[in-house]
Amino acid sequence: MPEAFVPLTDFVNESKSIPRDHPLDKPVAKWVEEEVLDGKIVEAGVVILRTRGCYWSIKEGCSMCGYFNDTVPGGVSDDMLREQWKKVRSTLRGKKYAKIYTSGSFIDPTEVPFNFADEVMSDMSNMGIEKVLIESLPEFVNPKNFAYTNAPKLEIAIGLESSNPVVLDKSVNKRLRWSHYVKVCKLARDNGAEVKAYILLKPPYLSEKEAIEDAVQSAIDTAPYVDKISINPVNVQKNTVVEKLWFRNEWTAPWLWSVIEVLKRCEDLPVRVYSDPTGGGTRRGAHNCHDCNKRLLEALKNHRLGSGDLKGLHCNCKSRWNTLVKQSKLRRNGSEPHGYRSGFAGSRHF
Amino acid sequence: MEPISHEGLGRLLKLEDNLQTPHVVFSHTDLKESKDLESGGTIKVGKVFDLPPSPLGLDSEKAPYLQLSENIAVLDNAYSIQPKKLVEIAAEFRSEAGYSRLLYAPAVEPSQMPILAYLGVDIFDDLNVELRSSTGWILESGEWIKQNTQIDDLFSHNRSELNRWILRIRNAISNGKLRELVEITSLHNPRVSQILHHSALLLIEKGARVHSTIRSNDLSLNHPAILDFQNRLSNYEPPAQNMVLLILPCSARKPYFKSSSHKRFFNTLREVENHLALHVVSVTSPLGLVPRELEFCYPAAHYDIAVTGKWSASEIEMLRSQLIKLNPTKHYAKAIVHAGSSSKIMTELVKELGIDVVDTRVDRPSSYEGLEILQNIARMTLSDIPILNTKDRAKGEAKGLANFQYGENSDFLVNSEISGRMPYKLRCGDLAAMSPVVGGFGLTLKGGIEYSLQGGPIIIAENFKLVGDLFAVGVKSYKGNWNIGDQVVIKQNDIVTAVGIAKMVPEEMISMNRGVAVEVRHHA
Repeated sequence: MPEAFVPLTDFVNESKSIPRDHPLDKPVAKWVEEEVLDGKIVEAGVVILRTRGCYWSIKEGCSMCGYFNDTVPGGVSDDMLREQWKKVRSTLRGKKYAKIYTSGSFIDPTEVPFNFADEVMSDMSNMGIEKVLIESLPEFVNPKNFAYTNAPKLEIAIGLESSNPVVLDKSVNKRLRWSHYVKVCKLARDNGAEVKAYILLKPPYLSEKEAIEDAVQSAIDTAPYVDKISINPVNVQKNTVVEKLWFRNEWTAPWLWSVIEVLKRCEDLPVRVYSDPTGGGTRRGAHNCHDCNKRLLEALKNHRLGSGDLKGLHCNCKSRWNTLVKQSKLRRNGSEPHGYRSGFAGSRHF
Repeated sequence: MEPISHEGLGRLLKLEDNLQTPHVVFSHTDLKESKDLESGGTIKVGKVFDLPPSPLGLDSEKAPYLQLSENIAVLDNAYSIQPKKLVEIAAEFRSEAGYSRLLYAPAVEPSQMPILAYLGVDIFDDLNVELRSSTGWILESGEWIKQNTQIDDLFSHNRSELNRWILRIRNAISNGKLRELVEITSLHNPRVSQILHHSALLLIEKGARVHSTIRSNDLSLNHPAILDFQNRLSNYEPPAQNMVLLILPCSARKPYFKSSSHKRFFNTLREVENHLALHVVSVTSPLGLVPRELEFCYPAAHYDIAVTGKWSASEIEMLRSQLIKLNPTKHYAKAIVHAGSSSKIMTELVKELGIDVVDTRVDRPSSYEGLEILQNIARMTLSDIPILNTKDRAKGEAKGLANFQYGENSDFLVNSEISGRMPYKLRCGDLAAMSPVVGGFGLTLKGGIEYSLQGGPIIIAENFKLVGDLFAVGVKSYKGNWNIGDQVVIKQNDIVTAVGIAKMVPEEMISMNRGVAVEVRHHA
């Protein structure tokens, strides 16, 4: 591995802490949200199972990912996974769309045993669920890992993060090769699964402008190989490199205007590109000024569900965003002065 | 590039005609962004230079802290690095960047520019000013005020104000008043005052010793020159043992012995038998205690303070620790306090140490009545003190001063043939004589030879006939270490050819091609 990788590796590891004790028989979370299935808005059941977590986060991990906080380092037994499953079935019952997340890769057999996954899939199929979304690192996208006996239509979400190797190495700390990514996307689609790509907006160290350009370029690069693209604005999760940089004010969460800019520039792509910002409108998530956060998030939601577009949005803070984007590369990091988004209206120190 | 002037770790460099540092670059004309993530764009400071790439994937709290290109070193995140860490990093600026690279701190607030310049940053930009301007704020002497009149092009208005602000910083360096500007900006800016607080030690250790007047206030208790003076007082010994400590007030005129009040004290005391056994120490803020022999030493003769007659708790604490450094129990038989408003405090402090002390209890020490009382008390106190003759006293004075000034390298002066007496006529043979310019013993050429043998700093210059000052271009190498303002010895062809005062730090002399390196006092 080239030497230049080493600093970020150390930084990622130093930022992490051992996850707290969690009850093993309870899932991390479950909820119901709106999603689009075959052009119609439906209710989707969302479940996060508690597992051992992502193998990469145990080894090193990505600079923005704090999902290891929800994992159990020793692993969760099959019995406990079944206990968790019992508790989430009510959320899934009657839905046509299910999203089954773990804080890692659902089709990593060392994280979620294949037998358990197979049971769960046929259970969902029997419940009448038509489509199920799971997540995985590219290295586990191998047909034998998702050759279920009876399963709803599979949609595999694979985190590309960026198609730029420099960003992956020096900002995200993810070992992913573009050629491999293209190969597994083809493999998944050839084996009857749909592929959803995750692209990061503003990973650490990148400035607002670099972030926008990187996300747009990544979307253009990946569009031919996937069925939909989700733009994920980086949010500040606990015990991550991103959190450290954020505390030090060397990086701030992206603007919602940047999210909208990326989506607008991806409008002509042949696949659906949308965004559902985690923690949107808060200081830890993508946000603008206090006046327009809610409005813009609402517009993004409507855009995601296909019931609205991103036209005609305006706020006083847009010109500030414009000024910042123009100079952001010269600032040499992803920061901006405290209180800038609200025009230094509050009496925040600076 | 030619160093014109220094203060703290800051430097005023002449780059071209009409182009000096600290300098501000304007983002729209002078900065070009990089084409990709792995290059750094360019910066125009007279000429166009490449910038190093931005620090992707690096932890800003780990060395190396600076990003380097051929001509530029960048201090990224200068705006947000923790104050203590920033000072730690500042200590490494020149070891990482060298002297010939310009140090650029991107995107800092104008209010932080003076302290960063004080710590050695050469180049700033207008990025934060642009952001502020876009939200309708006006820059005014480094502070932001909300716009209440319509200004058409606020950004260009603020840019010219920023230019004036930088000009003020440059001016402050050339007038030796950068510290004052930093103190002003620190008053209501916790970040700047924290950086300033943490940088005290670094500035003593590496900062230029510029002999500019310290117009003092409470903040100045942390001035590097003052802390340095206070620390070195523990090296100091009074001229003889078993003298009587006489504590007098300080005076507005410096050195004190030139003031009318101190002249009157002297004229009163000289009538007392054995008055040479009185050792005059002046009490003052922010320096604490200044023995008579050290009145020439910087900054004892170079400060000014608003006289309030009130002593703050921190000042009293400082006086206590300075008194302990003077070690009165070891050196003095008795003490007299004749210090006006500070008499009560000083009497208590001396009593705490268990020394026999008399307070003259005079409100106006230099009044006729006050002087009479002083004379009587001095006469009584000195009655049972052994006689001290002029020669021994002069010897002791020279020893105390030499130790204070040259520390462990002072043996050659202490052992020389000492003649004359304080203040102006004191000499150490033909090695050194009192010099108000140097602020203590100024070395003669012969003294320089001795000093260099004792481990004093030596600059080895190219072989040419040295006339006037030594310029950086003529410096070949060096031995030892010094700060700007220290006395150094110049050697050519292994022979000492001059002594003078350093105007650059060691490595800087080597890496600069222009500018005065040593202000020569004596030639061979």
